[in-house]
Order: sequence, then C-alpha cells, then structure tokens
Amino acid sequence: MTAIAAERYTGASIKRAEDPRILTGAGRYVDDIKLPGMLHAAFARSPLAHARVLSVDVSPARALPGVVAVLTGADLEAMTVPGPDALMALMGWAGPTPEFTLLATDKVRFVGDPVAIVVAESRYIAEDGCELVEVEYDDLPPVVSAAFALDPSSPPLFANLGDNIARPHSRSEFGDVWSTFANADRIVDFHIDVHRHQNVPMEGRGCVASYDADRGVMTVYAATQSVHVSRIAVAMRLGIEPDKVRVVAGDIGGSFGLKIGASREELAAAAASRLVGRPVKWVEDRTENLSASGQAREESFDVRAAVSNDGDLLGLDVKMVIDTGSYPGMGTMVPAIMEAMLPGPYRLAALGFESTAAITNKASYVAYRGPWASETFVRERVLDLIAKDLGLDPVEIRLRNVAPRTDPPAVMITGRPLVGVTSKESLERVAQLVDFPAFRRRQAEARAQGRYLGIGVATFIEAAPGPRSPEGPSGPMGTESMRLRLEEDGIVALFTGQMPHGQSHQTTLAQIAADEFGVPFEQVRVVVGDSDVVPFGLTGGSRSATMTGGVALHGARQLKVKVLDFAAHLMEANAQDLLITDGNVWVRGDPASAIAVSEVARRAASGQFGADVDAKLEVEATFDGGEGGWSGGTHCAIVEVDVETGIVKVERYVAAEDCGALINPAVVEGQIRGGIAQGIGAVLLERSAYGEDGSFQSATFMDYLMPTTCDVPRIEIEHLETVPLDADVNFRGVGEGGMIVAPPTVVNAIEDALSPFGVRIYEQHLPPARILELIAAADPGQ
Amino acid sequence: MKLPPVEYEAPTTVAEAIDLLAEHLDEASVLAGGQSLIPLLALRLARPMVLIDINGIDELSGVSAVGGRVTIGAMTRDYVAEVSEAVANTVPLLAAALPLIGHEAIRSRGTIGGSLAHADPAAELPAVARALDAEFVVRGPSGERVIPAAQWFEGYLTTSRRPDELLLEVRLPAARRGTGISFQEVARRHGDFAIVGLAVSLVVSGEVISDARLAFAGMSHVPVRAAAAEDLLVGERPSAELFDEAARRATDDLDPPADLHGSSDYRKMVAAAMVRRGLRAAADNARERQ
Amino acid sequence: MVDITLRVNGATRTGSPEARKTLADFLRDDLNLTGTHIGCEHGVCGACTVIVDGRAVRSCLMLAVQAAGSEVTTIEGLAPDGGLGTLQQAMWDSHSFQCGFCTPGFVMQAAAFLGDHPDADEQQIREALSGNICRCTGYQSIIDGVLLAAERNREQ
Repeated sequence: MTAIAAERYTGASIKRAEDPRILTGAGRYVDDIKLPGMLHAAFARSPLAHARVLSVDVSPARALPGVVAVLTGADLEAMTVPGPDALMALMGWAGPTPEFTLLATDKVRFVGDPVAIVVAESRYIAEDGCELVEVEYDDLPPVVSAAFALDPSSPPLFANLGDNIARPHSRSEFGDVWSTFANADRIVDFHIDVHRHQNVPMEGRGCVASYDADRGVMTVYAATQSVHVSRIAVAMRLGIEPDKVRVVAGDIGGSFGLKIGASREELAAAAASRLVGRPVKWVEDRTENLSASGQAREESFDVRAAVSNDGDLLGLDVKMVIDTGSYPGMGTMVPAIMEAMLPGPYRLAALGFESTAAITNKASYVAYRGPWASETFVRERVLDLIAKDLGLDPVEIRLRNVAPRTDPPAVMITGRPLVGVTSKESLERVAQLVDFPAFRRRQAEARAQGRYLGIGVATFIEAAPGPRSPEGPSGPMGTESMRLRLEEDGIVALFTGQMPHGQSHQTTLAQIAADEFGVPFEQVRVVVGDSDVVPFGLTGGSRSATMTGGVALHGARQLKVKVLDFAAHLMEANAQDLLITDGNVWVRGDPASAIAVSEVARRAASGQFGADVDAKLEVEATFDGGEGGWSGGTHCAIVEVDVETGIVKVERYVAAEDCGALINPAVVEGQIRGGIAQGIGAVLLERSAYGEDGSFQSATFMDYLMPTTCDVPRIEIEHLETVPLDADVNFRGVGEGGMIVAPPTVVNAIEDALSPFGVRIYEQHLPPARILELIAAADPGQ
Repeated sequence: MKLPPVEYEAPTTVAEAIDLLAEHLDEASVLAGGQSLIPLLALRLARPMVLIDINGIDELSGVSAVGGRVTIGAMTRDYVAEVSEAVANTVPLLAAALPLIGHEAIRSRGTIGGSLAHADPAAELPAVARALDAEFVVRGPSGERVIPAAQWFEGYLTTSRRPDELLLEVRLPAARRGTGISFQEVARRHGDFAIVGLAVSLVVSGEVISDARLAFAGMSHVPVRAAAAEDLLVGERPSAELFDEAARRATDDLDPPADLHGSSDYRKMVAAAMVRRGLRAAADNARERQ
Repeated sequence: MVDITLRVNGATRTGSPEARKTLADFLRDDLNLTGTHIGCEHGVCGACTVIVDGRAVRSCLMLAVQAAGSEVTTIEGLAPDGGLGTLQQAMWDSHSFQCGFCTPGFVMQAAAFLGDHPDADEQQIREALSGNICRCTGYQSIIDGVLLAAERNREQ
C-alpha cells in the first residue's frame, strides 16, 4: 500500500461529493443552461443513405415565424476551416482522410446526415423549420456492408479517396508465424462477427455556443470528456485562435467515448451562434443520438488458430475488417490497438494480423468503452471453441495458456510486458467462488428436466494505463498535469483536466489529496470543466486512476512541502518538525501549537510577507504514470436459456478483478457493474440495425433495447490482492474492463448451455430469434 | 422530438366531444391516456390537425359489475382497473394482463379505452378483448352502436370506430364457474410489448373443457383467435398431449409479421410454446379457482 | 397558447404553454425546474418521471395543459427545504448513481413505488424500476439504495 499519512479516505467507500446535487435535481447539464437571447438549433437530416444533393431550398424554413437563421452545408463551409476529425488529429493520424464538411454539401452519406441547421426561438419551432427545408436528392446505390465497400465496384462515398477503404490494408507478424502454424498439431479456422451497437449515454450530445464579438471570444458550454480537446476542435474548425475559445462543462450525463472533441453538429451550432450574434443551443434528441451520433463494434474476423493436441494456443492469424461508417474517425485507429492486445495475458508464440477499414453508408464508427474490446471477444471465444474440440474445461485451458507471473515478466508477442498481471490468480479465484463441479451436477439435472443452464468464463487485461514503457510515460497522451493550490479559505483546490461524466473524480481525487495533505475530505475541492482554468487532460482510456490519482498524490505532497515551508515561518519552527493532520498544522510533540490550515492560508494571502518568503501556496505537478500497470480479471456467468422462446436469463455473474489499489471500492464496483450491464446488453438486446437500403431501423428505444433492472443480476465482485509495482501509486483504471470481458463471458455461457444441441457460436448478438436459429441449424453430433 | 403544431380542444361532455369529432373527422385524434399517441406525435408520425383531449370528461371513467358482465368506461386508467376488485373478481383474465402493460408510470395515465381504440396488435388488452368477445359501445351523431370485438379490430392500428364516433365503454363478460385463465407473453424485456402474447380463458365443467378461448397478441395485424385450437379443445379432458396438439394447430392459418425482434417462423415457434404453457397454466388456474 | 394554473412542489404556478408543449418541457423551460431530465421523449427511459396527483407519470407523455389543476411534485420538491429525504439519503449512502442523468426519474419512481409498497422485496423493486433506464450503474446500487430506504422507513 502507499505510504499515506492517515489512511482514512483512500480505500474507503467515501460518500460522493457529487451526490447532494445529483439527488436533488441541482445538477447542471448542458440542456439546463439558459443564456439571455439564447436560440435553439435543429438539423434537417437526410432520409437517404447515399445520394447526391442536387439542391437545398431553405427559404420556406426561413420564412417561418420564429426562425432566425437557416444555414446549409455550403453556407457553413464558407464560414469555417476545413479539416479532419479533431480526435484523429490529436492521436496523430497520418493516413488518408476523406474530405468532409460540417453539413452535407454535395452528398449525403448516411440516413441522418445533417443537411441544414435551423436556428429558432425554440426547439419546437426549429423542428418545424426543419420540415420546411426542401432538399432534392439523386439516389445513389447504398453501401451497407463492409464486404460491398471492399468490392471495387461499390460507388465511392468520397471522391477524393476513390474507393471505400478508410485505411490501407496492412499486415504485421510477431514471432515466427509460418513455423508455428507449420508445426502445430492442428489448425482451426473460424469466422467471428461482432455486431454494430453503440454508447447510448442517457444524456445525448449537445452544447450551448456563445460568441462575444467584442472580445472575439467563443464560449462553448459543452458535454465533453475533455474541455481542452473540445476547445482545440472548435478553434481549428472555426478558425479562431485557440486561446480565444473557452469550453465550459458542468455535469455530464454519461459519454462512454462518444463526447470527445466536437461533433459536426456542435461545430455547426457554434458557427451559427457567431453568425447570428446570439447564443445557440443544440441538444440532440434520442433519435439523433441513436441514428447520427455514431456507432461502434461492427467488426468481422477470419481467425486461424495453431493449437497443440494438449490445448496450447500457439499462434493466431487474424484478418479483420472494420466497418467505420461514413465519416471515418476512430474506427481507422482501432485495429492497431486490437493487434497489440490480442495475445492478452497468454503465452501466445506467434501472431499474424491484418486489417482493412471499410467506409459504408452508416453513422460513423466512434470510440465506445474499450474500443478494442473485440480482441478479447475473439480470443476468449477461440479458447472455448478449442477447449470444446479437445474436451477441455474452459478454466483448464486458460490456466494452461496463461502466462505465469515471472521476474522479469513475460512479454506479449506484440511487445508489452505483462508486469504485475494476475490473470492466473483471477482464474483460480473464480474457480473457488463458483463451484464448477456442483454447477455441472445441477446442469445435468436441469437438462434431464428440459432446462438448459450454462456457465462461461473469460479472462482479460486492459492497459489502465499500461506498463511503463522504455521510451517514457505509460499512459496515452503522456504525462498528467494538475495544479494544486491552498485557497485563502483553507480549501485545497485541485485543478485537473479530467472531465468526469460518472467517474466520481470529485470524490476519488479528493480522497487521495485529503490523505496526502492532511485535511478532512470536505476541505478538498476538485475543480474541473473550464478550459480557462484547468490544465490539459482527457477522461478516457481508463487512465485517470493511475495518472490523475498519481498526480494528485504527488502534487498534494509537493503542496504540503510548500505549505509547511511557509508555516515554518509563521510558527517559527523547522519545516521538518511540522505535521498536518485533520486540517491543522502543528509541531510534532506539541499539540498546543496547532494552527488551522485555513489560518495558514489566510496569512499567506494577506500579503504581509516579503520576497524572501514564498507565500504562493500553489504547485504545478506532473506525473508520468510511475510504473503504470495492467488491470484485468476473470468473469464468470451462469445463464439459463429457454430453448422454446430463445429468452436468456443471466442467473449469476461473478467477477474476480484486479485494478491494483482501490481508491473507493464503491466507485470501482459501480464502474465494473455498469460495464458488465453494457456487455449483457450487447449480447442479448442491443443492435444498431441498418436495412439493406441503408435505412436505420433502431432509432428509438422501442427498437434499440437497453438493459434494465430485470436484465442485470446482482454481480458478485471479488477484488484481488494487488501486486504493487510502484512505491506510491498502485491505483489502476477500471472503467472499460467490464464492457470488454462481459460479452465473451455471456456468450461462452450461452454456448455451454446449448452444447447438447451441438451449437457453436461465432457471433456476439444473440437475441431470442437467433438462439432458436442456432439450435435449429446445429448438429447435436458435434 | 418535439410535437408538431396542432390545435387543441378539451371537451367536458361526451356530446361536446362528438360534435368536435363530427366537425374534424379524420383530421382529429382523440387524446386519452396519451401513452401511445404522444410518442407518435413526438416522432411526427401522426399529424392530426386537432387533438380532442377527453381527459376532462368525467362520465367516461368507472368500473361497474352488473349482472353477468363488467362495464369499464373508456377513460378508466389502467392502474384503476388494476386495483379494482370488480375486475379481479369478475374478469380475472383482464386482471392477469394489466400488470404486463408497460410500467407503472404508463399505467398511471394509460386508459383501457385508449389502448383498445389504438388497437396495437402486440398489446395486451386487445388480445384480452378478443378472447372474451368484448363489446365496444360507441356513440356518434346518429346514436350508439355496440360492436363485438371480432368486428372492432379491423386492421393494424385500425378499428371500426367511425371518425365521428367516440368509444364510451367496453363490456366484458363475467367469468363463469369453472373458468381458468392465463396470460402469457414473450417480450424482450419486462414490460415490453409482446413479441408473442396469448390470452387464454377455459371453462372446465366436471373433467372436461366446455369452453376454450385463445387470442394471440403479436401474431397478426389484429389480435387473432386460435380457432382451430379452440375447436380441438372443447369437449376434451385437459392433458399434455391435448395441449401439444392444440399448440400444433394454433398457428396453422397464421402468417405472423417479421420485424427486428423476430421472423415470422420465430413467432410461430414461440406461439406454439405459448399455447402449451398457456393452456397448462389456465387448466391449473381453473383447479385453483374451484 | 392555453393559460394554466397548477401546483408544483407546493406552490401555485401559472403559465401559457402551447398545447403541444409537454409537461417535461414546461417544467424545465417555463418554470425553470431543470431537475426533471429528458432522455428519450417517447416514454421509454423514465428520466422525466414526476409525480402528478399522487401517481408517478412520464412527463414527456403528458401535455402541460393536461396538468392544469393538478398537484405536481418534481425532484426539486421531494425533500423538505432542499435537504435530503430518507430515500435520497439512502441512495447517497448506497452510492446509487454515477453520472446522475437518470437520477431524478429513478428517485421519483422509487419514491412513488415505496409510498404504495413500503414492504416490497428486491424482485418487486426491480420490476417496479424496470421502466427506468440507467447506463452507468448496472442497477445494483440503485436497488440497494431503495432497499435501504425501505428498511429505514420501517425503523422510523
């Protein structure tokens, strides 16, 4: 454990600082913002998947009373700067980028592609106005599958690309692929599909943009995972100096990767506000969120596995196709992460990996919680399929293949060391928690009665933030910054670029700082959400526990040193003899000497000290991730499948997880359970469905089905003993793991339930009708 | 998803409402509970010129059990019917179906008449009404009509109510001695519309089924009776083999719709399972109620 | 425009909404009670749940004009004087929520349900809340908060 002065807060499920406002309706989300003179925007959107835009007549919309402005794609092009997706630019994408405009100009490329923005006195009138925008389209053949997109005869969505390939095909090899496959006892081939599904935060995308023409400052009230990334996106696209853009975010109703940078619609709203000289609010409704905000996970894999007769997974050769939708962004970058992560915590000797990214007439592929998650799905499905062929138990085959914890640590064939990984321990722990032999007996009895129970396990690791790399910082985007300041009133203020949207940072970071500095939890304030005030940062990639927890820990120590140096002057003592506990500074051994931290702060701010005394009680701290580390674990699900209706019930779910030291167990468990719920949703309920003509078929919650209280069971979570890697910072991220490993866990259980029918599953989405199809098509002799 | 512009009327009597309907005909939509209509308006799939809000017509609410039947006013809220002792005691099939309608908040506003006038074939109440041969009392400028359920449900979201008529009440027969009921449904999640639903009402006299009513939700563009299965069951003693055969026959003439939630074949398979389970449950219920 | 008078959180409020304006939008825009959230506008997610005349309803499925003469309670009015009621306190203690967007709807629906069913068990609570969608929590912590509130209500 870390050397904390008073272990009161870190490690305890301290009640959240966020909750008093959340529970009383006093949260401030972007749609709650009202500015004087504010207008509302809505978008006229394409009803067609692929078409040329012949003409756009906005005059009937402009004529509607209450409509203040209507802008077309061409109008917006004239008042903005062309450019690529901001996140891609930030992540250093150097590949081909299709040219695309904020609103469609010459072409529409998916159902929901925005064609015009209507700005009006109310959202009601704006939507009325949208209906009056007259667009003449010339239908084009839709490209609705990656397979057709890769066919040279498919009509290119982007003239400047010439085809529908978002990223050129690439192949990498790690280890000796040829020999591994040549010498293996058996080679097995599979084709595995993961279906399109999506983030669906309860709050959609949105912003209120307000341009101050006098000062030349654009203020955007946003829902975003990073105020600075949004600021840069707005600045770039609107051609404004970055320091003349301010992004402010309050409470955010979830994101899961969706709200990064600025969407085309948000940028259009910002441009419109600059033009009309009044604040413009755009908040997407649920239909927009489902059809236009972006979707994820539509990937297919041709997998060859080199296997020994004893169940060693020796090598994998994977060909992947990813459907990146119509305005490619994140989707083009995901395959590289998958390639790096495919070996997982196993002793894979060889990996061949090739990928192609296809452009199709669907909403764009966006980052969704663990964007690379399909690597775990593929690997954990393959292990089960091999186990079945060889008559091995699913826990047994994983124990056989998992890399033991050695010193120096085993290294993934793709390069990263498996330092501190406790996959083996998590498998063993699950085997203890779930009595497999007893389950098998119950399963047999149930089968005799015509009931089908199944059990599945899956193991994963996630780079949260990942092991220390030889080149330097562990986490994505390098170091984490934080400004810490002892305010005049005695509050220890942490200024961070983290932008919590459910992660409870205002609680967890305060816990760490309170412990390190020596004040009560309530005396720490975590300041987020204003690009004028906070350093650069982004909440995502499961980085914050380590990176921000670490910078808070070290920063609080640095601030404490500074404060004690100053207090030494006040108290005429040696700084080394001073302590801070419970919000008081005192001389060791002399409790009567205690002065409140708030008093020290007040004196520092009083200006009564000369230049020889540093009374500026503030530090700028950075942290490079320390020794970093992996999170991971093993999950286990028990399901029952009704083979007459195809309805699946998850009866029990157990997670043995290791995320290092826990800052706040309740927060950790909440993150895990939420991710698991999304995984259950993906398998049983959620699909972003396109018809053959590119029409979008799941634009409401009646068709895009979200998991509810009756779909997610109680989840038993076991926290493993951490392997400390760092002297101080052993907190590791946990945000994405649940969503990464739950889908294969549940699918493995369903396949186990249906094994009497000979069912083998090569896909992730298993609605009731599909279950019955699989049973009907299977061969019980298998 | 804001509602489109629409005129609004709030009559306080049936006569006023009928005058408005006669004036606006197809351009008007009747707003009862709003739980089905308002989403259609928000999605701008429904575009009436005028909403006739009948929530202020007090005489349209109420449950009364007189003689051999229960009369439910069209504006009776689902939740009122759900806690009504008259309903529980005399129309147990309705009592069984009501808790499956959406969620509590939907049932706070949704109405018995509204659901039956909306006539979604995947909804629970139309199947119940069809199973029990409910009678629909409408009134228009030319007077009142009583329409039996078989004629009420004409097509997808379409009833035989004329545009100038208002549904006043629904009449359901009281369950006879020996009745056993069940309402089964397969839905993707708790509270969802049925992919396939089945309302069953049996009368078991002595050891023999003397009356059998099975009505499907979600198997056609209207709630539909499984006539072949009913014919098979009458006069027979309940048994697993009988129920299996009924299940085989129940879907013979049906061509259920295909959608995102299931193919036509899938629905037929599920329907067969529903018949087996529904008959078993109804037979058990008949025994319990004796 | 239709003139309406109603009582919201114990106070008489008036307004002149268009007939097509939902109660949810009226509460948020006209009365500045932004605690009620809009998650879907077609009555599935439950984020907009308020209490009207003693019953939990989806305010996106009511027209504002239909609430004329009614007693409406929103999340802002659930607890006395802006404090926390038993349910809210129990949810705080149980770490029930994360991003908070679904929270007002859950709290109002749970409050209404517990009021009518103070001794409900876990399964009943799950079914009662199955019409409210949360994307963050996986629901267990919410259920725990409701169970804890019910227990504390019984102890009082």
